[in-house]
Amino acid sequence: MGSILLVAEIQGGKVREASYELASFAQRIASASGRSVASLVMGASIGAQAEELAKRGGGKVYAAESAALAQYNAEAALIAIKAAVAASGADLVLLSNTPSGWDVAPRVAAALDAGFVSDCFAVEVDGSGLVFKRRVFNGKLDATIRAAGGKVVASIQPGATAPYEGSAAGSVEKLAVSIDPASLKSRFVGIKQSEAKGVDLTKADIIVSGGRGVGDPAKFPEVIKPLADALGGAMGASRPVVDAGWLPHEYQVGSSGQVVSPKLYIACGISGAIQHLVGMKTSNYIIAINKDPDAPIFEVANLGVVGDLFEIVPALTAAVKAAKGG
Amino acid sequence: MKIMVCLKQVPHQDARLDIDGAGTWIKEDGIKFEINSYDTYALEEALRIKDAGEAEVVVVSIGPERVTQALRTALGMGADRAVHVKDAEIQGSDALGIARVLAAVAKSESPDLILMGLMSDDGNLTAVPPMLAELVGIPHTTAGLKIERGSGTVTVDREIEGGAHEVQELKSPCLVAVQSGINQVRYASLKGIMAAKKKPLDVKSVADLGLAGKVGAGAARMKIEKLAPPPKGDRAEILKGSTDDIVKGLVGKIKELGLL
Repeated sequence: MGSILLVAEIQGGKVREASYELASFAQRIASASGRSVASLVMGASIGAQAEELAKRGGGKVYAAESAALAQYNAEAALIAIKAAVAASGADLVLLSNTPSGWDVAPRVAAALDAGFVSDCFAVEVDGSGLVFKRRVFNGKLDATIRAAGGKVVASIQPGATAPYEGSAAGSVEKLAVSIDPASLKSRFVGIKQSEAKGVDLTKADIIVSGGRGVGDPAKFPEVIKPLADALGGAMGASRPVVDAGWLPHEYQVGSSGQVVSPKLYIACGISGAIQHLVGMKTSNYIIAINKDPDAPIFEVANLGVVGDLFEIVPALTAAVKAAKGG
Repeated sequence: MKIMVCLKQVPHQDARLDIDGAGTWIKEDGIKFEINSYDTYALEEALRIKDAGEAEVVVVSIGPERVTQALRTALGMGADRAVHVKDAEIQGSDALGIARVLAAVAKSESPDLILMGLMSDDGNLTAVPPMLAELVGIPHTTAGLKIERGSGTVTVDREIEGGAHEVQELKSPCLVAVQSGINQVRYASLKGIMAAKKKPLDVKSVADLGLAGKVGAGAARMKIEKLAPPPKGDRAEILKGSTDDIVKGLVGKIKELGLL
C-alpha cells in the first residue's frame, strides 16, 4: 500500500489548523486502508513547525527548507511536493482547499498524472478503494466520486472535520529540494491587505443580508436596509451581489469577505453557496427567506420561510417598527 | 498578442436540477444552458485587453452541438475566432482529460495569455486551469481580481482569505484563472451579434487533436458514482401560513431572542 502525504500550510509562522484537519483525515484513512501517514512542511525555516506536526498526527514529516519556499510560489511548491511524493511513496496526496491549496493541487495532479478531486467534506475507503464526497452546483447537490486507481490528489474543505486529537507517533526528516529561483517563471510580489472597511459587520448583533434573489440594486435600500434599520442591525450581502456591483465589497459576508457570528442573521434571497455559509453559519440564530425550498441555506438556518421576500420583508419591517412603537 | 479564452457551457444557474436515470448527473433535456459565469468574467477581461490595444481573442469550448450557441454569444461580445471541440469520445472525461483537450488546442494556437474562470458553476472543481498550465508548461495563478500586463510579464492580484490580495508576477506566456467580480461583463450589441455570424468557428475532433485514447470515460481516473440532493437531516423549521402568520412567527422568535 502506498502512503498518504498531507501537504501542510504555514500561516502566521505556525502550521494552520486546516493542516491538522488533514491529519485527522489522513490518520483515519491510513488505519482503514493499511497505509502510513507522511507530511510535507515547506518554507524558509520550518524545523520547529515540522516537529509540532510530527507530534500532532503528521506521521513521517518531511521538512523542505529553501528560500524559494518562504512565500507561496506554485512552481516551487510543486517541486517540493513532487520530491515528497517520491520520498514517501504516497499514492494519496491531501491538501486543504485554501487559496494556495486550490492553486497548486490540480497542478500537482497533472504533473503526477493523478486523479484529482477538490473541496471534499468526506473521504472513505471501501473494498474497491477511495471514495470522496463533495458539493456541486454551488452547494445544491452532493456528489460521490470514486477513484479508479493510481495516484490521487485531493483537496479537503477547511473545517470539514476536527483537527487531529490522537497520539500517533511521528518523526521529522529533512527533505532536500533544489529550487533555482532563476528558473522559476513566477514570483511572489507581496500581499495587499484589504482596505479599512466602512462597515464592520463582525461587530453587529443583527445582520440582514440580501443575495441574488433581491434581483436589483435599488431593492437593497428599498427593502433590505429598512429591515436592518428597524432591527437596529447592519446590512450585508452575498458574493454575487458584490460581483454584480450592486454593493461594495465591504458588505460581503463569506470566506472572501467578512466572517460573522451575530446573535441574529437574516438571509434574504440567498441560496447558500458554501463560501457564503462559511461566512455566517456560526451565527447564534439564522432565519432564511427564499422562494426555493431546496436552497442550501435552509440546511444551516434555524427558521425558514419559503416565500417571496418582497412580500415578507416589508411586512416584517412594518411589524418590527410597530412592536418598537415606532 | 493572442489571448485564448476557455469557456464551459453549463446548466443555467436557475435550471431545475433533476437527477438522471443513472443517478450520476442531472437531466439535461429541457433545461437552458449558459456560459459558465466565471468564464464570462474571463472573456470580458480578454475583451478589455483587446479594446485597449492589438489583441486577437480566440474562444474555445468543448461539448455537443449546443455549445455552438455559447461560442456565437462570445463572438457576439467581441471575440475574433472560435474553436469548438466536438466529439462524443470526450464524454465522461475527468478534469485532466478536459485539460488535455484544451492543452492540445493551446499547443496549436500558442497564445500569449490563457484566461478562464476559476471554476465552473456545475462542477465547482477549480481543477482545469492549473492542470492546463502544467500540461502546456507555462506559469499560472488563480482567483485573479486584477490583471496588469508588463513587458514580458503579467502581474496579478489574486484573492486570498479575508478579502486580502496576494500579488504574483508571471512570465508570459501564462495562464490566469479569474475570480468572479473582476470586472462587469458586457452584453453583446446587436451589431456584434450580426457580425458574429461571419466570424470563423472551427470544429475539431479528438482525432484532429491527436488525443485518441487519452480522453473520455476510458481514460478518466475519477468518476461520479452518485449525485443526489444533500441529506435533509437538520433542516430549518419552516414557517407556514399567510404572510401575516409568518410575520407574527418571525416577530415572536425575534422577541424570544431578546432582540426586540
